[in-house]
Amino acid sequence: MSDYLHIQNIHKDFSGLKVLTGVDFKVREKERHAVIGPNGAGKTTLFNIISGKFKPSSGAILLRGEDISGKPADVLNRHGLSRSFQITNVFQELSVFDNILTGVRSRHGLRYHFFRKPAMNRVLTEKTEAILEKVGLADVKDQPASSLSYGQQRALEIGITLSTEPELILLDEPTAGMTREETEHAIKMIDQVTAGLTLIIIEHDMDVVFSLADTISVLHYGTILVCDAPDKIRCDQRVKDAYLGEG
Amino acid sequence: MSEFLVFFLHGLAYAGLLFLVSAGLTLVFGMMNVLNFAHAAMYMLGAYFSYTIVMQLTGQFWMSLMICPVILFVIGAVVERFLLRRVHRYGHVQELLLTFGLAYIITELVKWYWGNYPLAINVTGFLNGTVSIFGIIYPMYRIFIFVCAILVGGVMALVLYKTRLGIILRAAVNDSEMTNTLGVNVPLVFMGVFAFGAALSGFAGVIAGPLLSTFPGMAQEILLDAFVVIVVGGFGSLGGAILASLIIGELQSFGVLLFPKLSMALVYLLMAAVLIIKPSGLFGEES
Amino acid sequence: MKQKSISLITIVVLFAVAAVMPAVLKQYHLNMLTEIIIFALYAVSYNLLLGYAGLLSFGHASFFGLAAFATAVSIINIPGLSIWNVILISVAVTTLAGFALGGLLLRHKGAYFALLTLAFNSILFAIATKWHSVTGGDDGLSITRPDLSLGFTTIPLASLTNFYYLTLVVLGLAIIFCWYFTKTAMGQTVLLMRENEDRMKFLGYNTNISRLILFTFSGAVAGLAGIFYTFHFQFVSISAISGDMSTTVLLIAFVGGTKKFWGPILGAFVYIILQNYLSDVTDRWPLVMGMIFVLMVLFVPGGLSDVITNLWHKFFGKKDDKDGKLTTAEEVRP
Repeated sequence: MSDYLHIQNIHKDFSGLKVLTGVDFKVREKERHAVIGPNGAGKTTLFNIISGKFKPSSGAILLRGEDISGKPADVLNRHGLSRSFQITNVFQELSVFDNILTGVRSRHGLRYHFFRKPAMNRVLTEKTEAILEKVGLADVKDQPASSLSYGQQRALEIGITLSTEPELILLDEPTAGMTREETEHAIKMIDQVTAGLTLIIIEHDMDVVFSLADTISVLHYGTILVCDAPDKIRCDQRVKDAYLGEG
Repeated sequence: MSEFLVFFLHGLAYAGLLFLVSAGLTLVFGMMNVLNFAHAAMYMLGAYFSYTIVMQLTGQFWMSLMICPVILFVIGAVVERFLLRRVHRYGHVQELLLTFGLAYIITELVKWYWGNYPLAINVTGFLNGTVSIFGIIYPMYRIFIFVCAILVGGVMALVLYKTRLGIILRAAVNDSEMTNTLGVNVPLVFMGVFAFGAALSGFAGVIAGPLLSTFPGMAQEILLDAFVVIVVGGFGSLGGAILASLIIGELQSFGVLLFPKLSMALVYLLMAAVLIIKPSGLFGEES
Repeated sequence: MKQKSISLITIVVLFAVAAVMPAVLKQYHLNMLTEIIIFALYAVSYNLLLGYAGLLSFGHASFFGLAAFATAVSIINIPGLSIWNVILISVAVTTLAGFALGGLLLRHKGAYFALLTLAFNSILFAIATKWHSVTGGDDGLSITRPDLSLGFTTIPLASLTNFYYLTLVVLGLAIIFCWYFTKTAMGQTVLLMRENEDRMKFLGYNTNISRLILFTFSGAVAGLAGIFYTFHFQFVSISAISGDMSTTVLLIAFVGGTKKFWGPILGAFVYIILQNYLSDVTDRWPLVMGMIFVLMVLFVPGGLSDVITNLWHKFFGKKDDKDGKLTTAEEVRP
């Protein structure tokens, strides 16, 4: 059986600065894969490459055997890949509903239409409502995004990520900056909304990682130190060294 | 052969002038990320002030060459401090609109005060003479323009790459916040850069006066050529401005000789070609 | 759908008022009103770029002028061409030009894009000046307005009133379509791109193609205004494609306000009226316009429409304002 996603020997340097030096790991379909690592290990750069923001300097990304590396973000999204951002990246002046609708209508091909208004289509509004329900924002759907609390903004961030009905989701530190309580709530929500999807998540919070992930890859100095089940990672000496050495 | 040489020298002289205009433009753009549409209008002001100083007041060309850049420096500093800085927070579009509006006003003021017709500025003495190069007699003034351009280009390169001031300037470009925390007064640096750009445009205007006629359309005319220079050379690149000035100066000059009807089109064709083949310009960095 | 009915009422009222104008106004003023409608459409098309997409162009006259010349040239060179075909040909020409120019220029952003639009406008201006045999060069081209053939009947457009009605209907509908466009999927896509282009890409939108479509559309609409400009004056000169004509539309849109759909329309009224009266009072009127422009850039970046909206808020309060016709459906920002 071929792997669903194979990150194959990815290198990236920014005008001489080597950020990734041969990242290589595989993700099975419907797996929940966490990428952890100390600050500056290159996690976000890796995400930017997988999601099409940057081109890798070398290496390949095989999605169902097809190399998708270097394809632009909008093409990848239409291939079923969607990502969230570490720093909340929503349309601040738009209502919560319209934020989600923007992704939903894209998924349904209503991107560049000259005559049709997006909000008048029943299928789209129903799908939007469904996503709002899932991420717990149905009550505030008519408010502008800018009026939401931090936790709600993070939920909206995930809602937008889901709005294009992806099968592969990349979440970049979804619980960053949250209180303990909010984090627990967010884990539950992420667990529910990504059921049946393939998930790659970057996280600092080890509780989040260990409660969500099936597999963990440890990124250290631009390369994968180890990739294994959470239990194994917990007692891996190299991982301890990497984190302790950093701290 | 001698005709070829004459056109070559004409090309050099125009290239020198183009460089003097575009150097300030590209410096301000590179440092402050502001495309100053009023740059050419300031150049025109330089030429008109020079007209007043040379033809109406003193008769001294050297005098205007010293005074005009100072006046323009002050104007530039005032514009930056009281106008440009105010709109900076609204973003680039607003900055562009402001400099565009200023150019418009300056042009109208010039028409009002000096009239909507060409004025001639005459130089006397040494600069009015000729020089013999490889058997041809060539006007000294055009050689003078080229020499000025070399001097200005040389000094700018020295300051930017060899002095502490240059280090500060380049640091301010890369990370203005960081430079600020290091104790450098970045707003003051920006004001200085903008004022220097204005002074340089004024200097170019004084130089241009005796070569081209001084008239309200002169800003528009040189602005386009200067824009082509920085598009071809690459935005914010001093080296690019030098090379592109030479190419365009010569292209203009030989264009007139070889294809009299298409001379202007050649320059634009070059620009279109650069845009298609290397959109960031010859020396520009790929974004 | 209260908002919707309010916009509908606004449109109907405006049309009704405009329709009785020929009975009220003198020839001179009807002439002016026709010109205002033409420049309103021109400015609305420009604001699709500036206000909605955040693209600053200094070369919008490229399209306005190209269509103005295409109109005159086709009328002169193809005898018996119906008015609809003249419009069709000229719009087609500008659409193609918009697509080609957009493909070349939109690879650049911000100041770079602004500069390139200016440069290409200058190229077109130079061509128009030099290509004397076709464009008439500095002399321009004179035409006679073709009659309006409606199949069953023919309406002579030599009469200003008839031409005014044609302008009102065709350009009025075009303005309404532009307004509708801002509400459609495409219009919203462009608007959101300005707010957060990155996110749009990650949601599957091809932002380059979106910008190209918008640029082409905006050019075609400006072209329609250019066509009527030639019809109106029955003459076209190189000034139609000059940098000044590009500056004019920038001034109109900015003074009226780029943040509201109706800002540029208001701008057209103010500009044309000021032009007509100020130019009688002082021949320094471009200077006055320039001063107004710079002062607005400095102190009122939202233009007159913003001032009016703020006053409205002040006097009628926020609550009433929700139902007021000025700020509901016509808000640029959703």
